[in-house]
Amino acid sequence: MPLQTQLPTWTAIAPTVLLGLTALVLLLVDSVDPDSTRPTALAAVSVGGSVATLAVAGWYLLAGTGQVGGAIRLYGGSLVIDGLSLFFTVIVASVVAMVSLASHDYLQDRTYQAEFYSLVLLAATGMSLMASAGSLATVFVSLELASLPSYALVAFLKKNRGSVEAGLKYFLVGAVSSGVLVFGISLVYAVTGSLLLSDVATAIGDAGDFVGVAGIGVVMIAGGFAFKTASVPFHFWAPEAYEGAPAPISAFLSSASKAAGFAVAFRVFAVAFPLDAVVPMGIDWPLLFAVLAVVTMTLGNFAAATQENVKRMLAYSSVGHAGYALIGLAALSGGGPNGDVMGASMAHLLVYGFMNTGAFLFIAMVERWGLGRTFEDYNGLATRAPVACLAMTVFMFSLAGLPPFGGFLSKYALFYGAIQGGFWWLAAVGAINSALSLFYYSRVVRAMWIEDPVDGDGVDLGATPLGLYVAVLIAAVGTLALLPAFGPVVETAQSAATALFA
Amino acid sequence: MVPVEWYLLLAAAVFCIGLFGILTRSNALLFLMSVELMLNAANINLVAFSAYWGNVTGQTFGLFTMALAAAEVAVGIGIILVLYRNFDDVDVTLAKGMRR
Repeated sequence: MPLQTQLPTWTAIAPTVLLGLTALVLLLVDSVDPDSTRPTALAAVSVGGSVATLAVAGWYLLAGTGQVGGAIRLYGGSLVIDGLSLFFTVIVASVVAMVSLASHDYLQDRTYQAEFYSLVLLAATGMSLMASAGSLATVFVSLELASLPSYALVAFLKKNRGSVEAGLKYFLVGAVSSGVLVFGISLVYAVTGSLLLSDVATAIGDAGDFVGVAGIGVVMIAGGFAFKTASVPFHFWAPEAYEGAPAPISAFLSSASKAAGFAVAFRVFAVAFPLDAVVPMGIDWPLLFAVLAVVTMTLGNFAAATQENVKRMLAYSSVGHAGYALIGLAALSGGGPNGDVMGASMAHLLVYGFMNTGAFLFIAMVERWGLGRTFEDYNGLATRAPVACLAMTVFMFSLAGLPPFGGFLSKYALFYGAIQGGFWWLAAVGAINSALSLFYYSRVVRAMWIEDPVDGDGVDLGATPLGLYVAVLIAAVGTLALLPAFGPVVETAQSAATALFA
Repeated sequence: MVPVEWYLLLAAAVFCIGLFGILTRSNALLFLMSVELMLNAANINLVAFSAYWGNVTGQTFGLFTMALAAAEVAVGIGIILVLYRNFDDVDVTLAKGMRR
């Protein structure tokens, strides 16, 4: 018997509430003692809150809350707690914990630290809500709750032109895509007369003359999610925003924000637009996502291969990985087990959460050392910081999908799921892109380990940023630990995804 | 009683005006106004179909949309302010230092 049956049902939302409370506690700490800056206390509260969230969400996930005996519905079905929402809350909370730990060093001697942490936690609250949204109204509100703090965080270095430019571009594209999303929602409401995902599912089959309106609505909602996940056609903010933003924020956005975007897309499309009802009407959304997946991964990988700036390369690789994860929405309706490929995509996002956060945090460390941003500036770094470079090597090979790392298994499960669903060509395009990605990931590794440093070694890197080091190592350990632990992870994800289609 | 399809046309027209403004204007404030038009086009749909279906879900969500639009403008104005301080203008095409 699940342990949570002894708790009241509202406690199912506890992980999300914990994230929000942590944000408020941070503001409280700051307002009690505004003059003295206490970076360690703020970072500790932030890390503590996110680790507590991670613990509660992980405990619920293991104990079967919302999985054994059906999903838990709160507020008339507007919030749904099930395996999917808990799984993505785990991803978001782990990324926030690593990012907060790293920010302690990154923010040294900067002002507005409490605001920084509380904005991160507020955005994380929104992302966790996105994963539990059970109605299109909650989808929009939680998506905005995740987006608005993110705009401010990208433009956080307000005297830095790059950061401001990045924040502006992120905001402009975000504002347009939220307009597109809400117009799509209004069209779906026009056709179905409801915003609850389960009611939309039953009503959309009777669209009648309004089938065209429903189709436009579905496409526009997909466009709104494409912004959050940094997929084509709303991907072009990603390279600018990730390059200009403070590196811990790039890590946060490219891992947690992308995962939350996929969480909400998985739930809305699987629940509200059921395949057997809308595909015969001509609203073939898996086909749309198949096209987007191919274009997104090809564009992301080819653009990444031509970059000279490591941070920008990682930004384009993040677009490419959005393309891989889109396979989870594309390789459906082929008669195969739909939950398996979507679950594999969820597991890939978890592994990606660790390896990509780690890679961006390594960049944060390099920025902290005051080294340059191009591949040449990384030459010979391994002789000066061998442990960190070893961790970066793990991230790079794992992102490329080489065998002894977590990224290999998650990509394998994803492509295998696509083949099972009858979409061998999606798997083939993914595999070709993975092979191409090895080229630019290994450039980083070659620069760090093989090339000789340009200015001779012996340049002092300064004091060791302890928090950043620990965060990078945690990410590396996570990437490696997900290799033996991948079996249970992917099973949890697949049963959570299967429950959506039931 | 105006047929409900006309509201769809009106909303689509307002949405397209907003989209046109976004694609053609480079002033950040005009950009924000165009986004407002897009969001309010959705509100027209929501309110019209709320009356058509006879439930208040759409009207309530319309209120949510207005509140969020206001929040979005608040953050947007903040970003436009730092844009002005760094580039001495609110022209969104000026900020392209990263494109090579």
